[in-house]
Amino acid sequence: MSDRPRDAGSGAGGGAPRDSTTSDASNGEHGGAPQDRVSEGTGISAQPTETGNLGPSPGGTDTATGSTVGKGGVGSEPNPPSEERSAGSAGGAGESGGPARPPRNAPPGSGGRRGKDVGPRAGAPTIADVQAPFRRQEDQGPKQKIAEVRKAIRGALSEDRGQTGEHEGVAVIELDHVSLAFDEPILQDVSFAAYEGETIVVVGESGTGKSTALKLILRLLVPDSGQVLIQGQDISHLSFDEALQVRQKMGMVFQGAALFDSMTVFENIAYPLREHTDLNEDEIEARVREKLEFVDLEPDRVMEQLPAELSGGMKKRVGIARGMANNPQIMLYDEPTSGLDPLTTGTITRLIMKLQRELDVTSVVVSHDIRSAFRMATRIALLAEKHIVFFGTPEEMAASENEYIRDFLGGF
Amino acid sequence: MNAAAKGKVLRIQEYFGLAWKALRFIFARPFYATDLVQQMDAIGVQSLGIVLLTGFFTGMVLALQSAVQLQTFGATMYIGRLVAASMIRELGPVLAGLMVAGRVGSGIAAQLGSMKVTEQIDALNTLGTDPIKKLVTPRVLAALVMLPVLTIINNMVGIMGGMIIASLMFGLPGGFYWRTVWEQIAADGFTLTYIPNDFIQGLIKPFVFGGIIAITSCYYGLGTTGGTEGVGLSTTRTVVATSITILIMDYFLTQVLLSVVGS
Repeated sequence: MSDRPRDAGSGAGGGAPRDSTTSDASNGEHGGAPQDRVSEGTGISAQPTETGNLGPSPGGTDTATGSTVGKGGVGSEPNPPSEERSAGSAGGAGESGGPARPPRNAPPGSGGRRGKDVGPRAGAPTIADVQAPFRRQEDQGPKQKIAEVRKAIRGALSEDRGQTGEHEGVAVIELDHVSLAFDEPILQDVSFAAYEGETIVVVGESGTGKSTALKLILRLLVPDSGQVLIQGQDISHLSFDEALQVRQKMGMVFQGAALFDSMTVFENIAYPLREHTDLNEDEIEARVREKLEFVDLEPDRVMEQLPAELSGGMKKRVGIARGMANNPQIMLYDEPTSGLDPLTTGTITRLIMKLQRELDVTSVVVSHDIRSAFRMATRIALLAEKHIVFFGTPEEMAASENEYIRDFLGGF
Repeated sequence: MNAAAKGKVLRIQEYFGLAWKALRFIFARPFYATDLVQQMDAIGVQSLGIVLLTGFFTGMVLALQSAVQLQTFGATMYIGRLVAASMIRELGPVLAGLMVAGRVGSGIAAQLGSMKVTEQIDALNTLGTDPIKKLVTPRVLAALVMLPVLTIINNMVGIMGGMIIASLMFGLPGGFYWRTVWEQIAADGFTLTYIPNDFIQGLIKPFVFGGIIAITSCYYGLGTTGGTEGVGLSTTRTVVATSITILIMDYFLTQVLLSVVGS
């Protein structure tokens, strides 16, 4: 592990995933053409190499390229998705939290799901642009036509989101070839990095170690090998007290909110302020009110309630308010939308995006909810069989022809 | 060494590690005074009823059984001495310890266990608070302070119960009963430089038992896994482990104290 170059995340290869993902091999050596290379004028991206997105195979090989992922694999014949599915996936991605994303309640035609936000927006390619490659190659087979359309959509979305995937400076959060085992391996050679203002969503099947990755970032767990770096500082070897200091930079929202039962909502949110700041009670109350209003709760109504008196969605919102009470630079979310109805799920997702947009915090979200993941993610990490098998933008994921990824997306 | 043995050694190490940290944090900032007061109330004040009841009836039954036996030798005047010695040296600390272990120990294990399975312990960690300092130390300190207090109350109530039986059923005057009690516990006086053996034994034991109850219940509570079923398991284990440990430690403490301070 230690013989691997640590700066896998530095530099390059457009299309973020490759620069900070899994192994050296994915860092360009085998990756083929750089990803998300944007064609001049048209905004249509070149075909990204799927191999660059893929980490080690579940079987344990370290070479990212050419390795198969799950049942499918790059080398295997992809399931040709229907045109509608492809467009729909990409459209869903387009709705995610990029700067140019239209508001959720925008009128039809101005953006939204099912690829509508590839529409005629200022500076964005038109439907005609998107369809151009398809028309030019009418004589090609249907598979090739579909591939061309997907390339076009991907390029349009990348333009629309204004994300080049290139990052400068030190990653805010970085897992560098991290492995962890208890009785059996949990994570093996996992690497990814989140840069300032990014929202990384970690998805994967149950039991693949997603929450464990969060606990490593929080240093609630220490990796067996590899490094966990927060703002460039390796936290794996910190003492307990030093780790407590580092954790103050982070806000964590737990799956079940993890509000303190014996405390009121006010006391829960005030807790980190009382512990770690010199604010007086008036200032603390003002801050608590501010945070409650941020998460769309009425302070006067909920402040004196106990967690047991709140609904699931309200608990999650109070959990977010508590997590952000200290104005952390990093927010971590463990299944923030699990167990919630679709409307509340949308509310929580919007809150996470609002937090990123307005406060520019760096976030890592562990989620099963692929729809929310596509909405809020800057990049998505897919964990399977203890490895990161994909790390890239939602568009790249939607465009992936890898069978496992397509199965995972389940037609989304 | 096989895995099971290693696991046991590891658990013992964890137990004493927890005890050491909890005791060390008594003298380290920040001090959670509010939590300490709350725990003193939960462990001490709220256990008062059960301790009073236990002590009173234990004293009465002790006087009754003793008097029946002493009557055979015409020695009922020694009821006070016997009840006092039994209550202060053994029954007071042990019964108070067992009662608190059952009531408070199980409560602590259940509370911390619930906090563990609902990720509240992890939440404390992520909010930059050491859970041992916040949760364990106040409970240990409260138990160390309150169990001796409860034991003293238990002893007093027990001796009073003995007096009621001695006076009402065996015709022993109250004043005489109290004089024999005093002779037993402070025959050679009571000064700052001389503390009678009964007091030493009677107060060291509950201090130790208090520590055992708090640390064992916190240990099982914080080690809870497996959801609500795990919480139930931790609670049961806590009560069993603390009760057995109290009884075993009582014997060894008595041996040590008798050899150190004499009978």
